[in-house]
Amino acid sequence: MKIKIKSWTGVATWRWIANDDNCGICRMPFENCCSDCKLPGDDCPLVWGQCSHCFHIHCIMKWLQSQQLQQQCPMCRQEWKFKE
Amino acid sequence: MDNEEVQWMIITKAFGFTDKFPKVTPYSHEEWISVISVLQEVELEEIIVNLTLDAIWNKLRKEICPKFWSHFKSHSTKVKEANEKETIVDAVSNLVQALKELHLEILNLIPYVERCQKVCEVSNVVVEGKLGNDDNLLSLLKLHLQATLYSQLPPLAFKLVKEVYSAAFKLFSHKKGHFHLDNVENTEFQSICRSCSFSNEDCQCSLISQAFDVINGILQELELLERMAGNIIEDLLLMAIEDHVAVICKDSFDKHRIQSLENWVEKVSTEWLEFIYSTNPGSSQDQKSSFKKGKIEMYKSAMYHKYTSTRIKQLFNIVIEYPDSQPALEDLRECLEKTDLRDTLVKSLKQAIKDILHAYISAIKGLRVLDPKGILLELVSEPIRQYLRGRSDFVRYIAIILTDSSCSELSDELVVAAPLVLDDSYSEIEDMNNWEAWTPDPMHAQSSVKSKSQRTADIISMLVNIYGSKTIFINEYGTILADRILSQFSYDTEREIMYLEHLKVRFGESLSPLHKCEVMVKDVADSKRINATIQSAEQNSHVRHKFPISAMILSSQFWPTFKEQSLQLPDEVLKEMEIYTEAYQSMKGNRTLNWKPHLGQVELEIELKNRTLHLVVTPTKATIIHHFEKKPKWALEDLSKVTLIPKGILRQKIAFWQAQGLVQEAEQDVFALVEDDDVLESRNSYLGGAPYSSSQDVPLSASACLEDEAESVMASAQDQRQEELQVLWSYIVGMLTNLESVSLERIHAMLKMFIQDTVECSLEELRAFLEMKMRQHQIILSNGMYRLPKN
Repeated sequence: MKIKIKSWTGVATWRWIANDDNCGICRMPFENCCSDCKLPGDDCPLVWGQCSHCFHIHCIMKWLQSQQLQQQCPMCRQEWKFKE
Repeated sequence: MDNEEVQWMIITKAFGFTDKFPKVTPYSHEEWISVISVLQEVELEEIIVNLTLDAIWNKLRKEICPKFWSHFKSHSTKVKEANEKETIVDAVSNLVQALKELHLEILNLIPYVERCQKVCEVSNVVVEGKLGNDDNLLSLLKLHLQATLYSQLPPLAFKLVKEVYSAAFKLFSHKKGHFHLDNVENTEFQSICRSCSFSNEDCQCSLISQAFDVINGILQELELLERMAGNIIEDLLLMAIEDHVAVICKDSFDKHRIQSLENWVEKVSTEWLEFIYSTNPGSSQDQKSSFKKGKIEMYKSAMYHKYTSTRIKQLFNIVIEYPDSQPALEDLRECLEKTDLRDTLVKSLKQAIKDILHAYISAIKGLRVLDPKGILLELVSEPIRQYLRGRSDFVRYIAIILTDSSCSELSDELVVAAPLVLDDSYSEIEDMNNWEAWTPDPMHAQSSVKSKSQRTADIISMLVNIYGSKTIFINEYGTILADRILSQFSYDTEREIMYLEHLKVRFGESLSPLHKCEVMVKDVADSKRINATIQSAEQNSHVRHKFPISAMILSSQFWPTFKEQSLQLPDEVLKEMEIYTEAYQSMKGNRTLNWKPHLGQVELEIELKNRTLHLVVTPTKATIIHHFEKKPKWALEDLSKVTLIPKGILRQKIAFWQAQGLVQEAEQDVFALVEDDDVLESRNSYLGGAPYSSSQDVPLSASACLEDEAESVMASAQDQRQEELQVLWSYIVGMLTNLESVSLERIHAMLKMFIQDTVECSLEELRAFLEMKMRQHQIILSNGMYRLPKN
């Protein structure tokens, strides 16, 4: 007997490669979207700070806008700088 | 007078064919010897015999049969003027007349035929039209008579026969008193003889029965009974049996009927057959009894048939009257084995079930006309809703029906673009512009009935409201959607988008479960795009693949929970998946894939010695057969270790390959590959079908049907509900620690107070949940109070 696989359709779930499961701001899983978004993934991506913490981009932007003086990471209070 | 003329006279006198067969003059033995010697002298035996017979056939054709049938014609013209009871007498006398004449004629012909027969026996004569050597000329005469009669059959001929035999049957049945006839109890008819419907003083019964004996006797003597009246005799009794069964079965399901019906049929049919065939002189006792047996069996099977079909028609009522109708159901089961009505039963039952659903929908529609405000409906439909609420599969069915375009009754309703008014939606302010038209709720409205704006008139709202919340409904829809996507693997989302749009209009866009469905459908479309991108990128970079791989990439947070199952895929597949994952990672930075190995769809081409199979299977099955490629014999235990599939499930999945004829259980728990076609052939014939001829490929669609993946890949709604209820547990533990012992009602009330918004839970559901906890010894019930066990 010889078996030839003509095609294989698999099922997978995608996930962010991050050191945490939930966004520290909205408390939602990273794979979910922030409270303002409807669609996860491309439309509600993550960003990493140089402190290596990451958040939904919309969440951290909102946070940063609300900070008048210094822009700090909400987790470690270091100055927030986007990781390149 | 010379010698020849004398001889001719002797011959014509003996055979009568020149003179239209005058009344026969009997010959003594000596006279007959002289006739024979004359015949032998002139050597005309063959010619004379054939001439005689021809003349007889001719007479039959031209005289006897037309005359016989003319009685029938005159009867049928007379019938138009006369009334019913006179026609019976007339029919009887007509038939007697006709048959007597026929009988006389035939009796007259018989001696001539017998003479021919004698000539045949003396000298070797070939008779035209004679069938076999052993059958004599008398039976040839009867055959000709039958044939000729039938060839000249006038229209409506059997009407007369039928009338006579019906009359006879009536006589018979009243004499024996076997039948329930409608007018039996009717005293009005007492002055009238029930058998012949003449008044008692004028009863014609004896006349009819005498005449009937004559008719029956002649018909049997001429062997015309079966052909002239066989069907009628049969039909009469069959009709009587059917009537009887119908009467017996009418509206009573609480007694076993089959045994008594069997006895009844046996008794009646025996008597009837005796009544008809008692005068039959011909056949032997043995033949008679076997003939009778056959007939009785036939009548019995007719009885079963009638009984079954009657019961099937009543099935709806029988089901409703269960358990009182148990005997009827048991009878029915017995009869189904003896008849071929199973299909009818299924059809009828399906109709009955449909009727129930239809009745509910019609009730909604009808009551809406009766009382447009819906209060009546609200009150009336409460029991139904209560029942349906208890059915865990109800939402699922409604969701399936809603989105199934073949069931137009509900899917049409879905398309009606009116926003759904649901109990849990905000009550609208009643239309103030139209305040003059406002009327109060009717008197019988109870306080429990919701306010007017929340009452709904639309069927989908009614159905969805049964479950109390549209969230559960939409969740269930999500599960169905997920199932559909992951069982069909069609990347075509047009239909699903359409339904989603309809549902959005219905349920409002903001509802989060519906939003989940939207993400699910979007995942499918995204996957299609990602697959295309990755494949084209690979083509440019000339990555070599063993086989094309594609993926359905899901947003895990938005999909229902999957049933998990461990599965170790073949290495080459894992390698391909890794390549795919890398491509995905480079495409979507910082994101990766978690494969669900047991989900998916695999297209296989299996090459065997002299045939090729094309199959579409699940990854689990593909993995199993893959292992058989490398090693043709596996013990269940070993295969389970290699594939990580639990043994029970593994056995089920191997059964698929056994059905395909590729694998067989060589010994207990050891499976071996079968490549030999002969084994397969014999197996196929054993299974009663040859799925496909050896060298031919199976069309893909057909093989796809062989997939038995009807089971859902999603965790059931019940499992999910259990998880939801688990949230309550921490509250309950808190409660019991503080208050020590609490009653069920109090727990329910407090839960309602604390967490009303997140989890809905009825008192019954809570009780069941706590009972489960009790079985796990996490809680104790004493004196109707729950408490925590002391450690």
